[in-house]
Amino acid sequence: MKEFCASEIVPKTEKLEDTRKMPKDIIKALANFELLGMVIDPEYGGLGTDVVTAGIAVEELARADPSCSIPVLFLVGTSWGHVLNKYGTEEAKKEILPKAIKGEQIIGIATTESDIGSDLGSMKTKISKKGDKYVVNGEKMYISGVAEAVEYGGGHVTLAKMTPEKGTRGMNLFYLPLKDTPGITPTYVEDIGREAISCGGFDIKNVEIPKHYLIGEENKGFYIVHEGYELARGLISLVCAGAAAKALENGIAYIKERKAFGRPIGKYEGIQFKLAEHHVRIQALRDLGYKALWTFDQELQGKASRFDVSMAIAMAKSVAPFWAVEAIDDVMQWQGAFGYTKECQDQKAWRAVRSFTLAEGSSEIMKLIIARELLGKDFLAYR
Amino acid sequence: MKLVACVKQVPDTTEVKVDPKTHTLVRDGVPSILNPYDHYAVEECVRIKEKIGDGSVIVITMGPPQARSALMKCLALGADEAVLISDKAFAGSDTFATAYTLAQAIRKLGSIDMVFCGQQAIDGDTAQVGPEIAQQLGMPQVTYVEKIEIDDKHKLTIHKQTEDGYHILEAKAPLLLALLPPTSFQPGNPPMSRILKAKKKPFNIWDAEKLGGDKSKFGLDGSFTQVIKTYTPPSRGECEIIEKEGKEAAKKLGEILLKHEALIKR
Repeated sequence: MKEFCASEIVPKTEKLEDTRKMPKDIIKALANFELLGMVIDPEYGGLGTDVVTAGIAVEELARADPSCSIPVLFLVGTSWGHVLNKYGTEEAKKEILPKAIKGEQIIGIATTESDIGSDLGSMKTKISKKGDKYVVNGEKMYISGVAEAVEYGGGHVTLAKMTPEKGTRGMNLFYLPLKDTPGITPTYVEDIGREAISCGGFDIKNVEIPKHYLIGEENKGFYIVHEGYELARGLISLVCAGAAAKALENGIAYIKERKAFGRPIGKYEGIQFKLAEHHVRIQALRDLGYKALWTFDQELQGKASRFDVSMAIAMAKSVAPFWAVEAIDDVMQWQGAFGYTKECQDQKAWRAVRSFTLAEGSSEIMKLIIARELLGKDFLAYR
Repeated sequence: MKLVACVKQVPDTTEVKVDPKTHTLVRDGVPSILNPYDHYAVEECVRIKEKIGDGSVIVITMGPPQARSALMKCLALGADEAVLISDKAFAGSDTFATAYTLAQAIRKLGSIDMVFCGQQAIDGDTAQVGPEIAQQLGMPQVTYVEKIEIDDKHKLTIHKQTEDGYHILEAKAPLLLALLPPTSFQPGNPPMSRILKAKKKPFNIWDAEKLGGDKSKFGLDGSFTQVIKTYTPPSRGECEIIEKEGKEAAKKLGEILLKHEALIKR
C-alpha cells in the first residue's frame, strides 16, 4: 500500500482540491491496483478480502491524501459494495459490482435528506410498487459522490419509506442509478474539506427502478443499512488515524528543524508532552479501529454478535475524529503562522477529518449506541 | 526451467547516513525497500518463466529477519518460492562472503538453469556480487543486461549495454545475468490480488546450519575486505545550468568563464 500510494496517489494529490470531483485517473489507479470492491466476492471480480484488510488500505490512503477525498471514495464504495454483495439480487450484483470494481461506476449511499440525518424514521422519500417496478419520490441531500455518479456512471444505495405507518420497520433499501435516469435532478453544495469528492443531493421525481434493484427484503432496509454504516464507521476510524499519523509525522519533522530562542522547538517540553499524548491517542485509535473491523469480520463468520459489532464500531468512531482533529490542530499550531496558510498540507486534513464527527453517524449518535449497549434498550434516549 | 533471482533489501533513500564509529549504514528510521535493480531482475525472471510456459522462480536473499518483506514483494511480483538466509553468522559479510553464501544456497537448490541479479544495489553500488556468484558457481555471466529475448529452443538473445551502445549476445543456459533497468517493459507494482496470493507461497528460512558449506567463508571471517571508513566526498563547487541554446548558450558560457579567470588559467 505504501509503495502504491507513493507512486500512484501522492503525486496526484497536490491540486486535488481544485477538482470538486474525483479525477477519473485516480479511480482508474485504485481499480488497477484492485482496491475497489476488495471485500466483494471473487465471482463478481472482487478479492473477497476481510474488512481488516480494507482498513489497512484506507489508513494508508488517508496518509497519502491529506484531503481524505480518496479515502472517502474508497470507504463508501467498500461499505455499500459490501451491502450489495451480501444482500443484493443476483441480477443486480452481476450488473453493478464488476463495473464498480473496474472503476467504471461508483457506488454511494443516500439516506440523508435536508431535514433528517440520524433520525431516519422521519425521512420523506417514499418508494411504492407499480407493477413489476418500484417508483420513488423525494429528495436526498449531503450525499458524497453525486457528481461522479452523474458523470461517470453508478448510483447510490438509497433508503426510502415503503410502509410509512411502520416507521423504521417499513423502509426499503435499493440501488438508484443516477446517470441518465429520468426524474433525477442533481444539486451541489461545497464542503469545507474533502474537496475532491463531490457533495450534493438529488431530487427524485417519479423515478422508476426495476424490482431487482431492491436490496434485501421489503421493509427491512433500515436494518440492512446499518450494516453498511457500521463498516463505513470502522473504516472512518482508520481514516482519522491515518490522517492524524501523517500530520504528526509532518509535525515531528518540523519541530526538529524549526528553531525558537536558539534551539529546535522539539526540545521544549510543552511540545514534547503534546507530541507524546497525540502519539498514544493515534496508536489507541488504530487499536480501536482494527478491533472494530476485526469484530465486524468475526460477525460475518458467525463468531460475534451484532451488539459486539455496534459497540466496538461506536467506540472507535466516537473518539476518532476528535482525537485526530486535536492532533492535527496542534501540528498546525507548532508551525506558527504557516500552519494557518493554504500552503500547509495539514490544514487540508484538519478540514477533512472534522467532517467525520458528522458523517456516517454523528459522534453523539455513537455515544448513544455505547450507552444503549451499557444500559439496555429500556434506557433508549430517543424513545 | 528452474530460475533463481538473488535480491537485497536496501534503505529507501539516496541520503544514507553513515555511523562515524562503526562506518556502517545507519538504517534506524529509514524505511527499507527491495533494491530497484533486483525488482527489475525478478520481473524479467518471471517474464521469461511465463514466456517459456513452464518452470519456477525461486528468489533468495541474505539478510536480517526483516528482509522478509523484500522477499514477499518478489513473491507478489510472481516468484514461486522464497528463501531467506538469515543468521548472525552472516553478519559483516563483504561482497565475496555474500556471493559465497548465495552461491551455496543456489547449489542447495539443485540444478539451476539461470541466475538473475540486479546489476548493483543502490546502497553499496559495488556491482560485484552477481559476477562473484557466477565465479563461485562456475557459470558464464553477462552483466549490464538491458533486454533479454528467449526463443522456443531456449536460446537467449541478450542486449548488453556498453559505454557507446550495446552488444547483442547469444547464449544458452546455464548462465548468470546482471540486469540494468529494462528497456523492453515498464516495471510496476503488482496488484493487490498478487500481494495477497504471495502470503500462501512457500517461504523458507535457512540458518547457517541448514545452509551447510564452509562456515569459515561466512560473515566477517569469510570477508577479504573490511570497511575502514565510509564518507560522503565534499562538494566540489557549485553547478550552474545554462538554460539556453546555440549561440545564446555559448555567449553565456563565455561570460561565466570570463568571470572566473581561474577556470581559464587552469
